[in-house]
Parts: sequence; structure tokens; C-alpha cells
Amino acid sequence: MSWQYSSAALFLLLAIVAGLGRILRGPTAADSMLAAQLFGTCGVAILLLLARGLEWEVLQDIALVFALLAALAAVAFALRTWGGTER
Amino acid sequence: MMDAMGIFDMVLALALPWLGWRLLASPDLFRAMVLFISLGLLMALTWVRLQAPDVALAEAAIGAGLTGALFLSALRRLERLSEAERRLAFAGKREEEDEIPPERHRRAKPVAYGLALLLLAVFVLLLAWSLAQTPAGGGLGPAVGEQLGQSGVRSEVTAVLLNFRGYDTLLEVMVLFLAALGVWSLTRVRLPLQDEEPGPVLATLVRLLAPLMIMVAGYLVWIGGSRAGGAFQGGAVLAAAGVLLLLANVTVVRQIPAALLRWGLALGPLLFLLTAVVCVAAGGNLLEYPPQRAGAWILLIESASAVSIGVTLAALYAGGRPPEPPAQDRGGEQGPGRDADADAGGRQ
Repeated sequence: MSWQYSSAALFLLLAIVAGLGRILRGPTAADSMLAAQLFGTCGVAILLLLARGLEWEVLQDIALVFALLAALAAVAFALRTWGGTER
Repeated sequence: MMDAMGIFDMVLALALPWLGWRLLASPDLFRAMVLFISLGLLMALTWVRLQAPDVALAEAAIGAGLTGALFLSALRRLERLSEAERRLAFAGKREEEDEIPPERHRRAKPVAYGLALLLLAVFVLLLAWSLAQTPAGGGLGPAVGEQLGQSGVRSEVTAVLLNFRGYDTLLEVMVLFLAALGVWSLTRVRLPLQDEEPGPVLATLVRLLAPLMIMVAGYLVWIGGSRAGGAFQGGAVLAAAGVLLLLANVTVVRQIPAALLRWGLALGPLLFLLTAVVCVAAGGNLLEYPPQRAGAWILLIESASAVSIGVTLAALYAGGRPPEPPAQDRGGEQGPGRDADADAGGRQ
């Protein structure tokens, strides 16, 4: 695996770890949730980088599932927590 | 290079337990939930690094996606419940709390921590012992590889799950089925009564995402024959489509006949069980498919199971059996009393 792919993946993982601070500090629920969404995006990017770097196609499927299901949590948050209509 | 990936693994190994600890220690339930979603993501990455893409797929679908939506909805319900309870049972709760004397509290804490530490120590010892017992470079991998030709599929994991140890998967499918039965026997689902048009953003998102999710679910079941994927992963993604439709409160969801849901729930377990019985009746072992048709059997069982797992997980999210009266009339749950009233009103 060439160093470009692995160092980019490492950088994105460090971005996730840095984002953990945002979740812990908040201050609002939306900040935490958006940080989690950022993790989803970073995770997809890491998986795609590893898929290219390791030439391991399965990782693309995992990235696809991640991308699809990250949207689900965002929708649930927008409807159920973020001032969603009374249900 | 090796070095960057080494640091990558180190960061993962450090971040994962730290995240788990923060998640358990968080007094704020919402924050704990967001941390849980993040934990699911790091978990999936860890499974990828451990060369277990099947588990990573399941973790991505269930840990990071479905559970997040489930927790968010549960949290909202909890908040409303606790508000109502605080008003109703304020006095009663106070007395109950006072019954435990404070000195017993103080004594219970070290005992609980001691027990937890003891269990942890036993667990670590067991891990070390089993690690010492495992022959180097062995495991069951080579044995599975030898027999792979007979299994009808090219993926080792699917071969084990659906062929070599098919009864494990049969029992797992049954467990999910029982879980859904348990929830259905407790309560009836409460869908919002009114027709609420989802906003343009949500409507577009649902229109784009739901078909894509269903397609990906089918893809995962199909690809499970040759690499990572399979009924559980496909079913989880299918369930995500169902949860999305439930969240958006699309009219179509309320118009699905209850009988269709019941059949969807039972399809996978029923077909799996029938296959098992037929295999025994034909003189073989439980789930011993004819070798030349094994691939087709596995695909059939996986497809049916994926549908059932999808319906089951979505039903678990909905949290009850489908509403009894035809949905297009009045929707939602309504007792027979309300129906009688409406009839009387019509006659007058």
C-alpha cells in the first residue's frame, strides 16, 4: 500500500479523534450530531482510500452501506430531536 | 507505508476503549447516544483492520445506522415519559428512595466494583488461556478452505453460516422472529393519525434513498455468495429503508396490509425450517443440501431470510404489531369503542 493512501487515511482518522472533542463539549445537540455525521463522512473516505490502497473491493461495499445509513441517523435526529414536530 | 498504517492501528486501539469509557460514563443520554454511533464507526474500521469485512458490514449497518435511529426515537419517548411520570409519581418515588439506608449504599459500591474487577480478571485469564491453547496459524480456516468446493458458494463466511453450520443461522433467524413476536404481543404500534406531508427536503431524500437502500440490500444478499455480504447485512439495510419510510410517515407505510407484514415476518424462518425438514426427510442431515444445487438453495434461503430480517428489524423499530383497522379509513390505533361511536354518529 503506497504511503499516500495510508497517510491520508491516518490524517482522516486523526480528524475523527479531534472531532470527538466536539461531541464531548457540545454545546448544543446539533453540534454533537454534526460531529457524528462528519465521522460518517471521514469513515467513508477512509474505507475508500483503503479499498484503493489495499486493492480490496469489499471495502467499497462497506463504504456504500455507511454512506446510506449515516443519512438515516441524520433524518432521525432532524425529525425527533432537532425541534421536530410534535409526534 | 507500513508505518502510517501502524500508527493508524495504534490510534484505533487507543481511541476505542477511551470512547467506550466516555460513552458509559456520560450522564447525558443524548451525548452517550452520539458517542455510541461514533463507537460503531470506529468498531467497523477496527473490524476492517482485523480482516473481517463481514462483521464490519454488519456493524456499519446495525451499530452505526439502525441503532442510532432507534436510540433517537427511544430518547424522545423517554423524555416525554419521564416528564409525565415526574408529575404523577413524585411523592411515591421519594418514599421508595428513602427506604434504602445510605450506609447500605456505601457498602454496596465497593462490593459491586470488586465483583466487576473479579469478572474482568477472570475474563482476561480465560482470554490468555485460550490464546495459549490455540495452535499457531491454525484455526478452522484451512478446514473450511478444503471443503469450500462442496458448499455451493465462494465466500468462506457464507459457506460456514449457511451450509456447514446452517443450524446456527437457523436458530439466529428464529431468535429474531421470537423477538418480533414478543414485541408484537406487548402492544400495538402507534402511528401518527393525520396525513402529514413531509417537507420537500425530506420527501426528496426519501424518494432518492429508499429505492437505493432496497437495491443495495438485494446487492448485498447476492454478493454474499462470493464475498462479504449476506442475509443479515442485506436485511439490515432493508430495515433501514423501512425505518426511513416510518420516520418520514409516508402514507404507503400505513397502507401495507397487516397480513402481508405477518407473512414477511414468517417467510424466512418458515422456508429455512421447511428446508431443514425436507433435507432430513430426504435421508440427509439437517440442512444437508444436495451438493450440486447447494448454491441455489443458499441464495433462496438468504433472500427469504433477508426479507424477514428486514421486516423484523423495522417492526422492532416501530415497536408493536400493526394497527388493526384498515389504515386508509382512520389510520393509527383505535379501539372498538371509537369505531362504535363513529358508527352511531353516522346513523344519527
